[in-house]
Order: sequence, then C-alpha cells, then structure tokens
Amino acid sequence: MREGEAAPVILTGATGFLGGHVMAGLLERGRRLVLLGRASEETSFAERVTRLLGWFGLGHRSGQIETVEADLLEPACGLPRPLRAALCAQAGPIIHCAADTRFSERNRREITATNVHGLRGILDLAAASRASFFHYVSTAYVAGRTSGCCPERLVRTSDFTNVYEETKARAEHEVAAHCAREGLAYSIIRPSIVYGDSRTGRSTRFNALYYPVKSLLCLRDIYLEDIRHHGGKKAKACGILLEDDGVLRLPLRIFLARRGRVNLIPIDYFVAAVMAILERAEAGTVYHLTSESATTIDNLAAYSQAFLKIAGVEIVDGAPNGARLTPPESLFQRLVEPYLPYLADTRSFDRRHAHRATVGLNPPELTYEVFERCMTYAMSVNWGNGGGAPAA
Amino acid sequence: MCDVLTTAKSCRHYAMCKIDFLGSGVCASGTERRYTSFYPVGRMDLYAALAEGTIPVTEQTVEIADSCDLCGKCDFQCYFVTEMRPSRVMKALKDHVEAFLAAGGRPEPPAEDALLQEIRAIVGEQWATNDRAIRLTYSHDPCPIAGPRMPAYVVMPGTRDEISALLRLLKERAVSWVPRGNGSSIMGLVMTEGAVIDLGRMQDMAFDEKNWAVRVGPGVSAFDLQREAVGRGYRVNVAEPAALVCANVVGTGIFSTFMAGYGTAADNFVDAEFVAADGTQFSLSDPHAPNLFAFRATDVESPGICTAVSVKLHPMTDDEEGVLVPFDALEKAVAFIKDCAIRRIGLAVGILGGEYISAFMAPTKQLAADAKEILTRKLGIEYLVLVIGDRYALRSVREMGHPYLDQRMFRTLNLGLPSVRSAQWIDLLAELSAEEPFSYLKADGFAELAETALAPSPAQLVRDVDPELRPFFEKVYARPEMTDLVWLNMFRIVSSRMGREGHFLIFIVYLPLEGALIEEMSRKFRRIADQHGLRNDLGFVTPADGGKRAILEYDYFFDQNDPDAIARIQRAGMEAAGLIEEYSARLGTIRWIRHVVNQGMCRKENLLYT
Repeated sequence: MREGEAAPVILTGATGFLGGHVMAGLLERGRRLVLLGRASEETSFAERVTRLLGWFGLGHRSGQIETVEADLLEPACGLPRPLRAALCAQAGPIIHCAADTRFSERNRREITATNVHGLRGILDLAAASRASFFHYVSTAYVAGRTSGCCPERLVRTSDFTNVYEETKARAEHEVAAHCAREGLAYSIIRPSIVYGDSRTGRSTRFNALYYPVKSLLCLRDIYLEDIRHHGGKKAKACGILLEDDGVLRLPLRIFLARRGRVNLIPIDYFVAAVMAILERAEAGTVYHLTSESATTIDNLAAYSQAFLKIAGVEIVDGAPNGARLTPPESLFQRLVEPYLPYLADTRSFDRRHAHRATVGLNPPELTYEVFERCMTYAMSVNWGNGGGAPAA
Repeated sequence: MCDVLTTAKSCRHYAMCKIDFLGSGVCASGTERRYTSFYPVGRMDLYAALAEGTIPVTEQTVEIADSCDLCGKCDFQCYFVTEMRPSRVMKALKDHVEAFLAAGGRPEPPAEDALLQEIRAIVGEQWATNDRAIRLTYSHDPCPIAGPRMPAYVVMPGTRDEISALLRLLKERAVSWVPRGNGSSIMGLVMTEGAVIDLGRMQDMAFDEKNWAVRVGPGVSAFDLQREAVGRGYRVNVAEPAALVCANVVGTGIFSTFMAGYGTAADNFVDAEFVAADGTQFSLSDPHAPNLFAFRATDVESPGICTAVSVKLHPMTDDEEGVLVPFDALEKAVAFIKDCAIRRIGLAVGILGGEYISAFMAPTKQLAADAKEILTRKLGIEYLVLVIGDRYALRSVREMGHPYLDQRMFRTLNLGLPSVRSAQWIDLLAELSAEEPFSYLKADGFAELAETALAPSPAQLVRDVDPELRPFFEKVYARPEMTDLVWLNMFRIVSSRMGREGHFLIFIVYLPLEGALIEEMSRKFRRIADQHGLRNDLGFVTPADGGKRAILEYDYFFDQNDPDAIARIQRAGMEAAGLIEEYSARLGTIRWIRHVVNQGMCRKENLLYT
C-alpha cells in the first residue's frame, strides 16, 4: 500500500460505467471510498449508489462508502466549506472517472464543461488535500486522427474524430500541467472501448459495442413483425425475406471509409488493470489499457448475424456516396455513424507502461462465446431499460 | 354515485354534440327544438337534476325525454371528445320520466307569467319559456369560480329586430339578461337570474366573395362556418369548433395558431352589427358607433348583443401542409417560433405541450397517457411546434435545419400510436437523440421504416376503443382529414380532447415573445398547480404581430365533481391570477384575457401596445 493510502479513495463518476466498476473493485479490496457525485432528476446520489451496490451484490460493503453530493462544474465542486476541509484533511488518492461521453459538435459546450472545465474543482481539491496520487481516466482515442502506433505519452494534435476525444486530450494536458505545478503525482489511464464482463456478460451500460447489435436486433424485429403480421410487403420491397430455417435475410450494407480493427476490452480486465496501476503507478505516466488482439468489423458482423439469426450484412469499403440505401440501411448508418471511426481503426497502441504496471494481465480476446454471453445478458436486462441493470 | 349519474354530471358543456363534426349527424330533436335542453348536453344536466331530486318532472321534461329516439349519435360525438357514452344517460332520463308517469305522477306546468307572454309576443310562442327543465340547462357551468344561477326565462330570438324589442322590454322591466352561445362558455360568463338569450336560431351565413368576407349570424358555429368557407375555397380564422363565431369575436377575440398569419382581435373581421342594451342598433362602420376598437386593461361591460360579424375570408393554396418540429426545452421552441414569426414563415405557428399533443392524437385516455410517456420520457419531446404553410414556407423550415415530423410521419405516428407503446426501437431513437436531438427524423427512409414498424391503420388506432363504437371510429379515422395537420388545425375538433380527463381552468396572457419570460411564467404557473396537487401543462404559445408579442395559454385540470379538487383549483386560480397581475404591473407589456372579455373587437395595437 502506498503512503497515505490508509486514507479513503476519492472517486468521481461512480454512477457511470467505468467509475461504477472501479468502485466495486476497490470495495472488494477493502478500500474505503468517498464518492463525489450528483443526484439525478428523481434520485439522490446516495440512492443511486445504493442501487449500484445492490447490482454488484455489494450492499454489505456500504459501510465503506461515504457519498457526497457534489457538482464538479461549480467552484470547489459545490462543496460546503467544512465538508471540503474535512475531505482535504484525508489526503488519499483521487480517481477521476466522471466524463461526458457524448461525441457530437452540437454538444460541445456541455461536453467541454464536464470534461475540461469540470476538472478545475477536482484538481484544486487534489492540491488542497495534497492527494497521494491523482489518477485520471481518459481514453485511448486522444491520439486523434492518426495511424500507426500511439505512444503512452501526452499527445500534440488538433485533429480529432469528435469533441469527446478532443476534450479528453485537453483534459490530459490540464491534469499534467496542474499536477506538475502543484507537485502532485498523477497517472493517465487510457482504456479503449470497454464492454461487459467477459466472464459473466454483465454490464451496466449498453452503448459502444452493444449499440450496433441492438440496432440490428430492432431492425430484425421490425421486419419480422411485418412479415409475420402485415403481409411482408415492406420487407419484400427492401429484399428482406424469412428463410425456411428461420434466418432473416436482411440485406444491409455497412459502409466503412477503410478497413481496420475494433479495439475492445472487457470491464473485468479494465478493473483488474486499474487496481494494478493503483498499486504500482509511476508518477507522470500514461497507461494504455487496450487489446493487443483487436477484432475486426467482419468478425463483429459475423457474431451479430449468428447471434441474431440474420444474414445479409455486408461490409462495403468506401462511403455510401451515390449508393441508394434502403430504409433499414439508411437508419442503421445514421445510428452507428458516431461509432464508425472506431469500427475501422488503423491505430495500434503502445502498451509498455501498462505491461509494466499490470504484469500478467492481458485482455481476453473477444470470442463469439464472450460476445454471446454479453449480448445475452444485455437482452435479459432489456438493454438497461428497466430490466435489472441500474439506471444511470 | 352510479355510473350513469357520474356521466351526466361530468358533461363538460363544450357543446360538441351540437355540431356535426364527425359527419354522423346531430341530435334530431335538438336541431328541431333548438333549446340546449333538447340536445344531449341539456339532457345530461336534466337527468342529473332529476336523479338528485333538485327539480321536479315538468311538462317540458316529458317532451325532452320523449323527443330522444336513442339514436346513439351522441355516443359517437361525446366518446370522441371525453370517452363518455351519454346514450346511457338519455335512456335513464326516458326511464325516469316513464316511471314517474306510470306511477301516476303529474308533470309540473310552467308558472303563469305576464312578462313571459310579452316576450313571447316578440319572439313567438315556442321561443321563450320559464319551464324549469329548460331553465335548468342554462343555469350552471363547470367553471370552478362561478356558482349556478337559475334564469327566470330562456329566450331564443330569431332576428335582430326581435333582439332590439326584447332588450327594450327587459330594460323597461329591469330584468337582467345575458346572451348565450352554443356551450356555457366554461368561464362562468353566461349565467343570470334574469333572461338567458340563446342565439342559436340565428344561423344565417352570407358570403360576399368580392369583398373577401362572410356575414355570419350569432348562432353560427366555428365548425359550420369553416366547413362552408373551405367548401368555397377559403379559410376563416376561428376558434373552437362548437363555439359561436360572433361570441368569440366579441368575447375574447379569436386566438388560434392561425393568428400567426392572420392576426388577432380586429384583424379578423370587416364589420360587425350590434344591438345595444337599450335596444338601439349600430354597426362598427357607423361613424357614430361606440368605439369598440379601443382597449382598456380593466373589466368592461358588454357592448350589447352582436347580431352579425363580417368575418374575413382568406385564400388557400393547394400546396399547404403542416409539420411538427420537436423540442426538448421551451426556450428553444420559443426561439424557433420567434424566428418563424419575424421572418413571416408559416400561416399557423404554435408551440403545443406534451399533454395537448398526446390528447389530440389518442382516441382514449389510456393511449393518450401512454403517448405522453413515450413522447416526453422516451423521446424527450417536451414540445412540438406546429407550422402550417405552403411549400415555400415549409422549404424555409427545412432550411432552418430542425428535424421535424412531416405530414406523412404525423399520419404514421398517429395511426400507429398503439404500436409505439411496445416498440423496442424507440429506445434506440432516444439514445441517438443524446448526440443530436431528434436527428433520426433526418435519416433518409425513416418515414418508410416507421411505417413498417408501426403498421399504421385506422383499425390499429381504435383497437382500445369501446368495441361497440369501434367500427364507426375505424371509418372516421380512415378519412384523410383526420390525420391532416392542416384540416385538424382549421377545424380543431381534437382540441376539445384536452378536457377528456377532466375539466380545466385556463390562463391566457398576451406577452412579449421572449423565451426567458415565457419559460419563467410557465414555471411559476406549474409550481402553483403542483403545490395544490393539480395536473397542469402548457397549452400553447403562438406568436402575434410578427413575433413582437405572443399569446400563452397555461391549463390547470381538475375533477368538476370533486369538492376538494374544486376548492384546490379555486385557491390555485387566485394565486395564478395574482401572478399575472404582478407581472402585468411590473412589466407593463402583459395583457390578461380576463380584461379582453367583451373587448375582443379591439385593434390588436391597442391591446398589445397601449
């Protein structure tokens, strides 16, 4: 245990996907936590955390947690002075997971506020408390639009795929500069795309890997319904047929600008790696938590078709310029558009720092069995819509 | 309370049973006898009073009961609006009277009355009465701030001269009077202990197409006028379908989403004719006529009885369509309608709240509730802005870049509404909206895909409707106009559904078209209603005078048969009135509808800016 780490860990973003699992990992290791977060419209922050603990089966660990309603966008995180003073007296590590993971330009103001301006309060708290370590959870994609191997160091680019990448890159620089100025130790943890637990399939979020699969499932069900109950005219017009073996032939072209890979890691690996980094982190170090055996879009298409009992999904090189899209193709293209750059990634990620800190840990390959396990779980909880997974 | 009595006491007094808005016909005895008592709305009141023993069986009661042939037309009309079936009440009324007579009961004859004889000498024997069964149906209103007042007489004049003679007589005998339209105003405005003057017989319409006007009598409903105008290729700017045009024009001025294009108050008419309280006649175009174009921000006496209005006719083009632009926040929606109004885009423009739009589209309460849940909670559509315009206007809306539901999507959504409830793919759309609100509406082929997914059809829309009425409504919804945004907003037959779950108290103000102000006032209206446990929602916001001003309606809903709810809405109403007064005094740019009552003919400039 590092110096000062008898003190509780201060964690932000605990009600999010990564932060929630980090919280669970720390609790299982006996750590005490101070969680900073906000109430939702209908639920207090403490209640949100309680629900999450229930989902993890860690309700009995609630005594290890102190929940503090905080607003990272407010000065001093919106904390009352005595409460902030009490937090500052504890001087443990801080893990900052809170983020706005939306991509689009139209949400730039809010995304920047959360991912960049929202750092100010928590970094000030780190300085005031002389935090033993400041761990910033970023993304592997701060590398921006590039190809080749991305090093485990701060990046200097202004060419990003979306506002999320850009703001996370800006935030990394803020963290590094602030910590250097204040003499604080920091690490930057950069996961790639994270999906559910490879061993159990469980997850609290169903975006990224899940979203295209869910989209295909919905399209499948729409046309099955049309064929079974409404004569199938609409399906036929799109060349969609129900085969004798029960497989739905759903011709659907996915247009990709280029061929590449999809870098995915399961949440269980992410948590294990973060726990290892917390133990062995070197100050001022960047860690890539990425897969060395990134899968391909063709694999994912094959997995999806097998899982959903559909056929006809085709990966097409190039943009759909001029191609006449069927209604399902058009909607699917729009649905997955924000994710397309990640489905055809030509980047690889240097992992030397991660290897050093997470000796013996490697993300498992996304096999069909793992894929099926995760998607089966997602469907069993209705993709997080009231079927058992805790609400965000 | 038994079901039949509950139904009888739940009549909203909208008078939709007096107009043939479904093409199914209107109660034959009402059309023949004219008194409200002979329409289903009157029979509902009469049965409730008889069942509760507050009036005896009178001679007219027997006629009213006998004249109902239980045709069931009222079921179609009332179910469409309130999901109630009045024919059970009609049957109960007949049974009650039959049992009374079978038991040897003798109907109460009307009291001898000398003044009544004089009134009858003016309007004719059958068009004035003091029978309690008739008077009762003119004695109350679901308005929570107006108690019942039993009139001494109900009179139905047939001409302007009869009205002159009548008013002279009533003045001479110091009898108070009030004119009455189709319904009961639902604002407590048409009750008196004196004479109620029902103008329902005066239904003449004369088109003067060379001068782009139609002269309408005081008994002409908005629906009937619009139907006649549209049949000739014109449009008029009118209000609720069952409301009488003259009453609307004089009472509050016309406000509708079409006021964005056609204006409000004096913008809507060419001339009007009146009979003053002393029986004298005047027209607004007379050089010496009272100045009804003025406006004073205070309560004002009625200028008399309006006996005709020359309503402006507007041209229509064959490329008009409607679109609905969704928004997740009121301020954004206000900014959009302001942009439209300043640029003169759209003939009709208005922000509709989630409660409104769900109620409008759904044929049942349950489906409306489900639709609201899906629209607001799942899809984040808190407000929809209606824009009706020609192809140039709609091209402008497209170029403004907002995703919208076009006519085809609206039809799909409306006729496929029951399918939306179970549609898993709705969640996908919601997730997609996190990046760009409602961007799925921009996807090529989305309308086609939505049609596939929702399988819209009249049969599907009515699948939760009362099985006995389902075949009828399936035919109704198969008509193109029932999903045509232009038609629906011209004829407004679905807007009456806002009262389906219970009656409502409305707060209407003219105010600057500023997002922050409208948002702030709406929030305060909401807070008051919430504190009193009343369901509430924004009604609509429509730009006025090229976006310089707007009209805002906010609605509080309540159960008109629940004394506790009535007490709560009375308190909430007082607080909301105080809120309006406070803003009016502070800002000087807000006009309350309460002060427009009886001043609806004023120049909008006097109303909005002086």
